[in-house]
Amino acid sequence: MKWLGLGLVALLSLALAVLLGPAHVPLAQFARSDIVRSLRLPRAILAFLVGGSLALSGASLQALVRNPLADPFLLGLSGGAGLGAVLAIALHLAGPWVLPLAAFGGALFAMALVYRLGLVGGAELDPRVLILAGVAVGAFASAVTTAIVSLSDAAELRNTFLWLWGGLSGASWDTVVVMAVYAPLPVLVLFAAARPLDLLALGEEPARHLGADVVPLKRRVYVAASLLTAAAVAVSGVIGFVGLVVPHAMRTLWGHRHRPLLPASFVGGGALLALSDTVARVAVAPRELPVGIVTALIGVPVFALMLRRWSAT
Amino acid sequence: MRLWAHRTQLAGLVALAAVAACRREGGVARGDGALTVIDDAGRRVELHAPARRIVSLSPAVTELLFALGAGDRVVGRTTWCDFPPAARAVPSVGDGLNPNIEAVAARRPDLVVLYRSPLNGTAARQLERLGIAAVLVRQDRLEDVGRAARLLGRLAGVEASGDSLAASIERLLANPPAASHVSLAFVVWDNPPMVIGGGSYLDELATLAGARNVFHDVGSASATVAIETIAARDPDAIVVLSDTAPAAPAAFAGRREWQAVRAVRERRFVQLTGSLYGRPNPRAAEAVAELRRLLAAPGARRAGGSGGAGGAGRTR
Repeated sequence: MKWLGLGLVALLSLALAVLLGPAHVPLAQFARSDIVRSLRLPRAILAFLVGGSLALSGASLQALVRNPLADPFLLGLSGGAGLGAVLAIALHLAGPWVLPLAAFGGALFAMALVYRLGLVGGAELDPRVLILAGVAVGAFASAVTTAIVSLSDAAELRNTFLWLWGGLSGASWDTVVVMAVYAPLPVLVLFAAARPLDLLALGEEPARHLGADVVPLKRRVYVAASLLTAAAVAVSGVIGFVGLVVPHAMRTLWGHRHRPLLPASFVGGGALLALSDTVARVAVAPRELPVGIVTALIGVPVFALMLRRWSAT
Repeated sequence: MRLWAHRTQLAGLVALAAVAACRREGGVARGDGALTVIDDAGRRVELHAPARRIVSLSPAVTELLFALGAGDRVVGRTTWCDFPPAARAVPSVGDGLNPNIEAVAARRPDLVVLYRSPLNGTAARQLERLGIAAVLVRQDRLEDVGRAARLLGRLAGVEASGDSLAASIERLLANPPAASHVSLAFVVWDNPPMVIGGGSYLDELATLAGARNVFHDVGSASATVAIETIAARDPDAIVVLSDTAPAAPAAFAGRREWQAVRAVRERRFVQLTGSLYGRPNPRAAEAVAELRRLLAAPGARRAGGSGGAGGAGRTR
């Protein structure tokens, strides 16, 4: 029943994303319209994939570091992505795919650095060390980025930040294919980690006694969640809120077991972002709102309602 | 692009500026050479004598001062002041966005000209505490150029050239715009897509050049829009600004999502130099003439469409 409801919400959000937009497309021409076929459809699908990826990464990282405040960007990825993008522009690299690739590279670099720091103190990926390393690497990358931007006189660099703040303007069938080919592997790795993540919630020592292979598990989850987030940043910048709150909202319905929670987070995150992007495109047309604002404006009230219902039971 | 961001932020203050503009005429020159003006923020600025050492913290002001024949009095500029070429010889005091008061004061100016913004208002007060006169000038639209020319002409003691420059701008504005036969969209950034709206200098230039900005109805100077909206409004040509010469082709032209826009698909781009078109300046008449010529070129029009006689072709 819950699954049916979630599925319907997801389908509805996708349908609205394709049906609504700032341009008026007569229903008779709908199937032939270039706007629908090459802009709305890929954008709706990309929004769903990105939202799902962020929420799934968030849910997994919250379990990994055992901290409800964890979100996909906690571990320095946004700072790394920004640095990559700014470096690419400062070095005058040109081409339509430079920004996404550079952001992806920067995010991977930050991930590698945080991972390495996380191994300090006995090859353990201690959650506390991991969070500190993430915050430190993120702050360092942001500082370098700001230094480059304020020392350079290319106006273009300032606009780079607009992109980094997140949005789905870059959606096309190309980016959809990139996500659709890239995402399944990390998604499956995370889904497969559902059971051991349940054990990890009890604490590392008890999880080990119950037969979970704690150290490889943590590495696998960390790397998969980061790779997924890095891809999301590359195609849509840093979209906040989805990865933090959707997992909590889903916990109010599905509880703390990760086997249902992880897929539910993916579908819920996808639906929230597809819906938010539609609102962003339509609400103040012909202008467009930044989608990160809309995810918060829609998500917070929904989350508050769910939280109230959940604490009442 | 930097200045557009500023202008967006300032959009709500237009009414206030109009009040300031009305009060501006209160400039008085006393017999002893001392003069008083009211600037675009409604502040009273007093000088004992026409300014001899001026620091300009806005590229549009630097260009205007040189055009007024007061270029030799400019002793400080921003890193963005790249026109006229002689301006580059003036020492830079920073990027002008968050003025470095110490660097400005080190040039020992008797007048500092700033773009009117809340941040610069604070800087102006700090300068006044150091005994340095500071004037805030708004230069967002063509009509601002004339007003600024008169104000700066008076402060720099070149009143006659200020008045004649202002008069030439007023003549340009009084010209009935040519009938619009080409539609265009100014795309200043691609992700997120940002276009120039009706409340802007570029929109004025387009109108004067006989073109219709398809985002004229967007009130602010610039706005983020969806590619879908650009595609639906289907401009004859896409105008991009570039500071590099020769202009590099717009990178987004190669991205697949932009192919939904007909003018991008058919590569109908018009490239304008940022230093001539990116900010309101005294060369507006030249800019309008060049834009009219570029839009009349075959590459800017669609074959057999609303572009009229033009054939199908490509820019570049």
